Amino acid sequence: MLDNQKISVRQFRILVILFTIGTSILIVPATLAFEAKQDAWIAAILGVGMGLLVILLYNKLGLMFPDMTFVQMNQKILGKWLGKMASLLFFSLSFTYASALLFYTGNFFITEIMPETPLGSLVILMGIIMVMAVRYGLETFARSAEIFFLLFFFLFITLVFSLTPEIEVENIQPVFEVEFKPLLRGSIFLVVTSTVNAVVLLMIFPANVNQQMEAQKSFLIGSLIGGLVMIIITLLGIFVLGPYYSATEVYPGYDLTKEINLGDFVTRIDAIMAGMWMITIYFKLILYFYASVLGFTQILEIKDYRPFTLPLGMIAIVLSVIVYPNVVYQQEWDTKTANAYSLTVGLFLPLLLLGVAVFRKKMDQKKHT
Amino acid sequence: MWVITGILLVAILIIIIEVPALWKERQKKELWVFSLLLLIGVGLSIAVGLDANIPNPFDWIALLFKPLSDFMMWLLK
Repeated sequence: MLDNQKISVRQFRILVILFTIGTSILIVPATLAFEAKQDAWIAAILGVGMGLLVILLYNKLGLMFPDMTFVQMNQKILGKWLGKMASLLFFSLSFTYASALLFYTGNFFITEIMPETPLGSLVILMGIIMVMAVRYGLETFARSAEIFFLLFFFLFITLVFSLTPEIEVENIQPVFEVEFKPLLRGSIFLVVTSTVNAVVLLMIFPANVNQQMEAQKSFLIGSLIGGLVMIIITLLGIFVLGPYYSATEVYPGYDLTKEINLGDFVTRIDAIMAGMWMITIYFKLILYFYASVLGFTQILEIKDYRPFTLPLGMIAIVLSVIVYPNVVYQQEWDTKTANAYSLTVGLFLPLLLLGVAVFRKKMDQKKHT
Repeated sequence: MWVITGILLVAILIIIIEVPALWKERQKKELWVFSLLLLIGVGLSIAVGLDANIPNPFDWIALLFKPLSDFMMWLLK
């Protein structure tokens, strides 16, 4: 029934792009500029490069089990109970990150656009459309991603072209001043937020895409395009705002749009540009929530995930209000725990799965010969 | 008081949307899981609505991954 939903390679590529850009476009330039100063763009390039390696790992793992989701792979490779525990860890990651993203959208509106609105009401609105999308199913939100992607791309191109006159090349000098470790810290943050968390896409990738060989190419290409967008935004941040402002603003990506000034006529179009972040964050949010609900039902071996979207959405909304009590806690959690958490689920677990699977295959071949 | 009434109304709405279909097909496991989740959701929402102190799951995750995150911080310092 619902398990047979298939999306096309093109739709999958668009989902990958939107996921890679996701929240990163808002928060990553600040961290990169904080760690690597005017060389933030080098950290971004390094991060995108490392990200492609992670995607290669996912492709390899996905193609070994072409008709399974990540949760089913866990149970197949690690056995019933160990597999269930690994899947539970995966579910907790996607579910808590869905709540964290709900908080991010609410917090973005409160900081930049509607300072007097209570967090709860913004989060509930976002939560309702999140649940709606997942209830309609994968095919439906993949199709809507195609439409919204055009809008996103149009806004992005407008942003880049209207900021070109504001570029001050001196901001980027001196080049290559950064030391290695801050550079690495910056790139790891980028890889974790954009690519390692893309492990939730393994709930879609081999099983629900119609041409798998083509799909693995689009996984790479999509991640590369998303990475390019990130590099461009980071570069623009340094060129236009300078490394100091990029590092101290909470959302430098958004502050960039305030700088747009076309002949003193088109100015302050940041609220329109905010549509850009809303699109990417929204799709990242849906993908997290979809992965968590689908993972939840597959752990319990229930066929249809739809009845559980509403109650789980309710819990996610409540969690999003309480998970970050204050900004200090949020920064601490995002830079310390989130890295370890994501790397465990998104890098070490797939590596372990791939290792065990390859080992088993070898053993089987030995038995047969 | 209004908070609790509102949340209960939402819960009833969710039940009206989901339960009849499950009931018709006699899906016992689904019904149990659904009720449990809804109960947790309603309980948490009411607790938040009344400003009660709720344990934060992010604290647990931070505690669980502290050794690894400390190691990473040390490695990259």
